[in-house]
Amino acid sequence: MAKPQQKDARRNVRTALACASLVAGMVGLAYASVPLYKLFCQVTGLGGTPGIEAAAPEQATDIDFTVRFDANINPTLPWTFKPVQRAVNLKLGEEGLAFYTATNNSDHPITGTATFNVTPLKIGQYFVKIDCFCFTEQTLQPGETVDMPVTFYVDPEIRQDRSTEEVTTITLSYTFYPKKSETDGQVSALKQKSTPVDIGG
Amino acid sequence: MANAADAHAHDDHGDHYPGFFSRWFCSTNHKDIGTVYMFVSMFAALVGGGMSWFMRLELAEPGLQYLTGGAPDMQFYNVLLTAHGFLMVFFVVMPALIGGFGNWFVPLMIGAPDMAFPRMNNISLWLLIAGLALLLISAFVGSGVGTGWTVYPPLSSSIYHPGAAVDFGILSLHLAGASSILGAINFIVTIFNMRAPGMTLHKMPLFVWSILVTAFLLLLALPVLAGALTMLLTDRNFGTAFFDPAAGGDPVLWQHLFWFFGHPEVYIIILPAFGLISQIVSTFSKKPVFGYLGMAYAMVAIGVVGFVVWAHHMYTVGLDVDTRAYFTAATLVIAVPTGVKIFSWLATMWGGSIEFKTPMLYAFGFIFLFVMGGVTGVTLANSSADLVFHDTYFVVAHFHYVMAIAAIFAMFAGWYYWIGKMSGKQYNETLGKIQFWMFFVGVNILFFPQHFAGLAGMPRRIPDYPDAYAGWNYVSSVGALITAVGTMLFFWILYRTYAAGTKAEQNPWGEGATTLEWHVPSPAPFHTFEDQPDMSGKQPAE
Ligand code: HEM
Ligand SMILES: [Cu+2]
Repeated sequence: MAKPQQKDARRNVRTALACASLVAGMVGLAYASVPLYKLFCQVTGLGGTPGIEAAAPEQATDIDFTVRFDANINPTLPWTFKPVQRAVNLKLGEEGLAFYTATNNSDHPITGTATFNVTPLKIGQYFVKIDCFCFTEQTLQPGETVDMPVTFYVDPEIRQDRSTEEVTTITLSYTFYPKKSETDGQVSALKQKSTPVDIGG
Repeated sequence: MANAADAHAHDDHGDHYPGFFSRWFCSTNHKDIGTVYMFVSMFAALVGGGMSWFMRLELAEPGLQYLTGGAPDMQFYNVLLTAHGFLMVFFVVMPALIGGFGNWFVPLMIGAPDMAFPRMNNISLWLLIAGLALLLISAFVGSGVGTGWTVYPPLSSSIYHPGAAVDFGILSLHLAGASSILGAINFIVTIFNMRAPGMTLHKMPLFVWSILVTAFLLLLALPVLAGALTMLLTDRNFGTAFFDPAAGGDPVLWQHLFWFFGHPEVYIIILPAFGLISQIVSTFSKKPVFGYLGMAYAMVAIGVVGFVVWAHHMYTVGLDVDTRAYFTAATLVIAVPTGVKIFSWLATMWGGSIEFKTPMLYAFGFIFLFVMGGVTGVTLANSSADLVFHDTYFVVAHFHYVMAIAAIFAMFAGWYYWIGKMSGKQYNETLGKIQFWMFFVGVNILFFPQHFAGLAGMPRRIPDYPDAYAGWNYVSSVGALITAVGTMLFFWILYRTYAAGTKAEQNPWGEGATTLEWHVPSPAPFHTFEDQPDMSGKQPAE
């Protein structure tokens, strides 16, 4: 009797190990999804992720297009941040240039980074940046004001895509955050207050 | 529990029962573990139900009546709401349907002496109890977990939930998840390797099929939740930025991961209910289930397709139109295998000599509620419509019908169906029927008006609302009161059954009850099927 039972036990352990590796694989996939997700957004431009190229196409078209500019700032960053111009009119395929201005209102140097996206979200893949202040971190001295350029173009392909052909205006939006390591102090300061941020009512 | 112990102790099947402590705390016996799971579930149901009745009390009228300690405390409402959701999903429905009935009846139905890994079974149970304790503690840490059961960042990030409460909540879910994963492995090994000779997969009762499919869903879905929760934990405490856009993360990634788990989770809840309802419909129609194989593979199909529809919870996050079209279409596809199930139940009943005992009433109730919720589900699956319905009470009504209350009906159905086998005592049929009608009327008055409130635009997750919504909210709260009385009546029936129930026969349901658990005495002895029965040549035992 002992023999078959041992065989059963070994079979059980084998099945259990197969299940366990399935579990480990799924945990791995959950973490793998982080880089995959970013890659996916960049490749497809989903969620308004703009593309990046070295230069605008040789030939611009003569189709008019408007790009508007929007600026936001995380409340924990004591800066002022504004677009210099509200909008730029240009041709599809033509290289555009715009400036944002930022001032550090505090009494110490602060490093910030900007996140960006474009709306309508569906045209992400047709909005292409050539150079942008958001590609790097920006450090501002106390009281310093800087003008920051962004160069871009709108891909004429936007007119070939049935779901984007009607778009004539897009909005480029930035949000400036303190660099993550610089917020840690503020977050723990917030943590010391035991009540969460007022949620209204 | 003491009652349960007595009920067993007075039986003499020549079994040797261990002492009270080692029997109930160190148990490795699938029946005893199942029983403890049932009582844990009932305890959590009282806590989670108590919270929901308090919320309905507050929502009965516009304005704040009961949440007015000092400053009107909206966070406290959020804490109740979150704990209610977590408790009901992870600590009421899953422990009862999977831990309770699964442990009790999967080995019995396949003619196995116990689960494959009895000690691991005990670990699963205690991990769950530890998780429950952590969740209850989290409500008293700082200002509690007010994130909703979806735990979306940035609300769940350290900016809006500083303090350790959310960390407790995360650890609680980790423990509950580990418990379920170990349990799932145990079920898979048991079902694959320990069936009685001759019981092929295609002859297994549908309840066993449902637990098998559920176990695979658990293995595939829970690790993703665990991974996402760990990312959130490190975001909150160790400076990572998976969900923090300031450092290149994205809060929408959380939603993808959460719902990749979350949608299969609703099938994890409802598939065991499907299996159980199939047994009951067949028993009380005195016919085998119509289309047995179709029923089994419909569950497999629902499980598979359930993994590729998750973003129907995310239509408003800015997905492009093609993506939304895909998720709408994929979601609608699930209606096909689901329809197979509904129509097969109806076909099973058709022409059968139906006996309206309490379990069958609950099975009818389940089918009715599930179809109701399914219809609103098909509505919500349309991304264009969902842009309007999202986060309104229409959604609250939908998921309570299709998942929450339907699952509770299946639990009641299973309890009335199997309590004779589990305790050796039969419940009082008249009281059972009264309890069914109270509960059925109660939940419909409770949740049906929420459709109207939602269509009129009432948002979910709010403790106060404009006067315009007052009427239906009042009706809904009256329904909650009836449901609460129905629940209390259930606990009375439970008490009377253990204390003074009539002796249950081996098979109280007659010719329709064909599965193996009806071939052992009531209550099922401590050890069953030490010698496995030979099932060769027998019909599928649905
Ligand atoms: C006893 C009957 C029940 C009542 C009276 C009830 C009532 C409620 C109420 C008032 C809310 C809050 C709605 C809001 O403010 O948005 C809610 C939310 C919820 N309920 Fe129930 N419920 C019941 C049963 C259940 C069951 C059995 C389950 C699950 C199996 C469940 C799962 C949930 C979930 C997941 C939420 C959403 C929580 C969130 O928004 O994060 N409920 N319920
Ligand atoms: Cu879903």
